[in-house]
Parts: sequence; structure tokens; C-alpha cells
Amino acid sequence: MAASNNFYDLYRHGSLGLTLTDALDELIRDESITPQLAMKVLTQFDRVVAETLQEKVKARLTFKGSLDTYRFCDEVWTFLIRNVTFKMEGNQGTVVADKVKIVSCSAKRNEDK
Amino acid sequence: MSNVHVGPVYESVIQGVIDAVRVDFEENGVEDGVLEDLKKKWQMKLSQLNVAQFPWDPKPDQPSTAQPAAPPAPVPQAAPPPVAAYTQSTLSPQTTAQPLSLPNNIQPHSNGIPIKQEPGLARSEPVPIKQEPGTTSQPMHPGYNNPPHPNMAAARAAAALQNKFGDGAAASINAIHNGMVGQVNPAQAQQQQQQGHQQQHPQQQHPQQQYQQSVANQMQQRMQQQAQQAQQRGIAPNGLPNAQTDGPSDECWEAVMMRRNAEGQAVEMGRVEIDDLLHAQIAARAKQMEGGGLMLPLKQATKTRSLDNKKSRATAGPSQVDGGDDDIKDEDLDDDAINSDLDDSDDNKEDDDEEDDMGHMMLCMYDKVQRVKNKWYCTLKDGVLTVNGKEYVFHKATGEYEW
Repeated sequence: MAASNNFYDLYRHGSLGLTLTDALDELIRDESITPQLAMKVLTQFDRVVAETLQEKVKARLTFKGSLDTYRFCDEVWTFLIRNVTFKMEGNQGTVVADKVKIVSCSAKRNEDK
Repeated sequence: MSNVHVGPVYESVIQGVIDAVRVDFEENGVEDGVLEDLKKKWQMKLSQLNVAQFPWDPKPDQPSTAQPAAPPAPVPQAAPPPVAAYTQSTLSPQTTAQPLSLPNNIQPHSNGIPIKQEPGLARSEPVPIKQEPGTTSQPMHPGYNNPPHPNMAAARAAAALQNKFGDGAAASINAIHNGMVGQVNPAQAQQQQQQGHQQQHPQQQHPQQQYQQSVANQMQQRMQQQAQQAQQRGIAPNGLPNAQTDGPSDECWEAVMMRRNAEGQAVEMGRVEIDDLLHAQIAARAKQMEGGGLMLPLKQATKTRSLDNKKSRATAGPSQVDGGDDDIKDEDLDDDAINSDLDDSDDNKEDDDEEDDMGHMMLCMYDKVQRVKNKWYCTLKDGVLTVNGKEYVFHKATGEYEW
């Protein structure tokens, strides 16, 4: 248990995490599982997501834009960037968005502990 | 970096989580079926978000059949054997034909006629086959037999049912016990079920008889006649072959839903499977009707509602405090209002911002964040990016932006 606590619960706010939370909520409402068990599932999720992203994903991207807001609190960077252009590696093309929020935790703390 | 990679990555995350928590589920005494349920729900919700093409998407209607099914190649080879079995059994001397009690015009000793009757016999052939799942009741409750301690799980389930529904759950509990002990005596369970039905009958029929006795009697007579006729034909009143039903005269009967597996044989669908199927269909229909407009994630829906509440509070609040002076305009009130109202409007703005960001968000780790004057450079890794309704995953990202 102790080891799995060292992973961020950051990814719970992505679509993968939100849908998992929804599904767990439904099961709790049906009284199929306990909230404690759901929490265990989420901590496992934190670990699996972090490991999977580290091991299975090789893609790179670059992006440019104009920074609207930045914030650094509790070792978490939050950027609000406007007019962003994402460039995929290779010839995958670009994606443009008028506004993107970046929430980013320190990679070092994760590895240290 | 591309959208194509998202599906497999998410798939492996889901599988990883499911595998990782299997031990926890077992320790908590939760059945494997619930875990599968969680996985299905999770995948279904992800598919509804439509952020990427997922490996399980092409066959969303029957995710469960895809797993147990054998590879498609042997299907044509496997198909012939059942036919051969039918013909063998029907051609073999009369053993299967006798209990069917067909109409009297069959002359059992002449060899020519049974062959002519073949289609009829073949059609009623499923009787002995269907009987098996009915008596063992195992296919109906796969979840009860799978866990390592089936007796414990079954007993717990029975106790839970008893607690929740009291006597009404007697039938289900019986089914569990049958599954637990093996195939002890399904007949007993049937008897108990029948008794239950008979006990309910007088209560239900009493008012009916008070109101329209004659009509009910006529109906009953007609039904009995039909039942008799049907029995002569070897078919129970509900149209199913005789051997499968609970008993001869009860009006309630369990519907059994069948589907064909890879070998073309009919297989009973469990309750959970049917539920899932229904749920998927209903969800799809609801989405069609509403155009997906109301099917927002829970978080968004509650957020907008709380926003509305705030707004209504902001407008309604001051007028209440000020009392009877209706002539003052809202703007004046806002000018006079205390700081809390200003805070509220600020909050609203912030919330709006965040709400818009829901669609465009990047979650990641940072390696380095540097700034030279107003230029920012950052190196990010292991991220998930949601832009324009699509998701991307990346291992490394570098960003440059000016403030």
C-alpha cells in the first residue's frame, strides 16, 4: 500500500479517471462494493496509469502558444495557454486550440520516493 | 504521438487496474462478476466520451460473447456435428421420441413413418438439451460458482438477499442453495416456487372475482381448455416444450433468453448479460432522443446547476435584505451591495473559465520549467492531452510560450 501512495492522483481528472470514478460510483450506489474498495481501485489506477504512460508511450510532441496564466503551488505547475499549436512527432500534423490548461506535477518527486 | 495510440494504451491501463484490484476484490468478498461489471461500465463510459477509437469499440453490442467464443475458423467445421447428432438420435429406435407423447396417429413400429416425422421430431429435439441447464441452474448463476470459496460466497449472497427482500427472495435463495449443493433437488425448489405462487393466487384473484367473477371463470375455462389441448400436443400452456416449465398450471413462467454461440448452439443468457444488453440499448435510445445534449458527465451537470443557484442567490439576495423598496433597480442594488456579491460574480467568471477548460486539458509531469524574461520553456513528460474532443498521449513534450 505504501508504495502505491507515491503516485499522483492527477490522472483521475482525465477522461480515463473520470469514467472510472463514475463506474465506481454506480457500483457503490448499487451496494456492490464499499467506498473503501473503490478508493483502493483508484490508488491502483494512479499507479497503473503512471507506469503505463512511462513504459508504453513513446510519442513526442512540441507546442507553442502565449501564456495567459501561470501558477506554481505545492510543486504543481498550472498553465493556461492561449492560441496553442501542438505539433506531433513525424508527419502526424498539427492540432490547434484557442485555450489549453496544463496541470503538471513534478516528475522528480515521483521518482525519488 | 497520435490519437491511434490512445486506444491500446487505455486498454492496457484498464486491464492493468482490473488485474491489480482482483486480489482486493477477493479479500473483500466481492464476486468476480462485479469486477467484470466494473470493467464493462468503465469501457462503456469511455466509449461514450468518444475521445478516441478503442479496441473494444467495433463490437460494443456483444463484448461478452467475443471473449468466450472460439476463433472463427473452426465454426464451419463445428457446425455439422450437431446435425449429425440430430439425425442419429432421431433415426435411432424411438428412445427420444417416446417421452414426447405425440398424437396417436403415429404408428411406432413401422420404420417408414418416423423418418417422415423427422422435421417435427427435430424441432422438438431441444427438449432434452434445454433441460440440462434448467436442472443444474449453473449457467444462470455463473458468478456463484466461480469464486474460490463458492459456498461462502453463495451463503453470503443468500444472507444478503434474505436481509434485503425478506421472504420475497425465497426463490432466489433457493436457486443459490441449489447452485451451492450441486444439483440436489431442483424439483424441491420448483415445489416451493409453486407453493409460493399458489399462496399468492387467492390474494390476487379475490378482488378480481368480486368484480367480474363470470368473466374470470370463462377465462379460466378457456385457458384450461387451451392448456389441455396444448398438453395433448406435448406443449405447455406458455408455448414452451413441456419438460422445461416449472409446472403444468401456473401462469407465471420464467422467460429464458437464448443466443447462439460460435458453434450455432443455443446458450442461455445469464441475468447479468441480459441486463447489460437492455441497459446498452436503453442508453443508446436515450442518447438518440436527446441528441446527447443532456448526457453530460456528472461533474459538468452539477457544476452548471450550482452556478445557477449562485446566480439566483445573487439576484434574489439583496432584494430580500432591502425589503419593500421595489423601485430601486438591480444595478443600484449591485452598487450598494457588500463585497460578497462581488466575490460571487468573480467566482462565476472563474467557474466559467474552468468549465471551458474541461474540453482542453493536459495532465502531465514536468521535468523542467524555465523562464527567460517573458519566454517560458518547459519539458513535460508522461502526459494525457485532451483537445477538441480528442485525446492524445505522449511520452515527452516541449513547450515554448510567451507571457
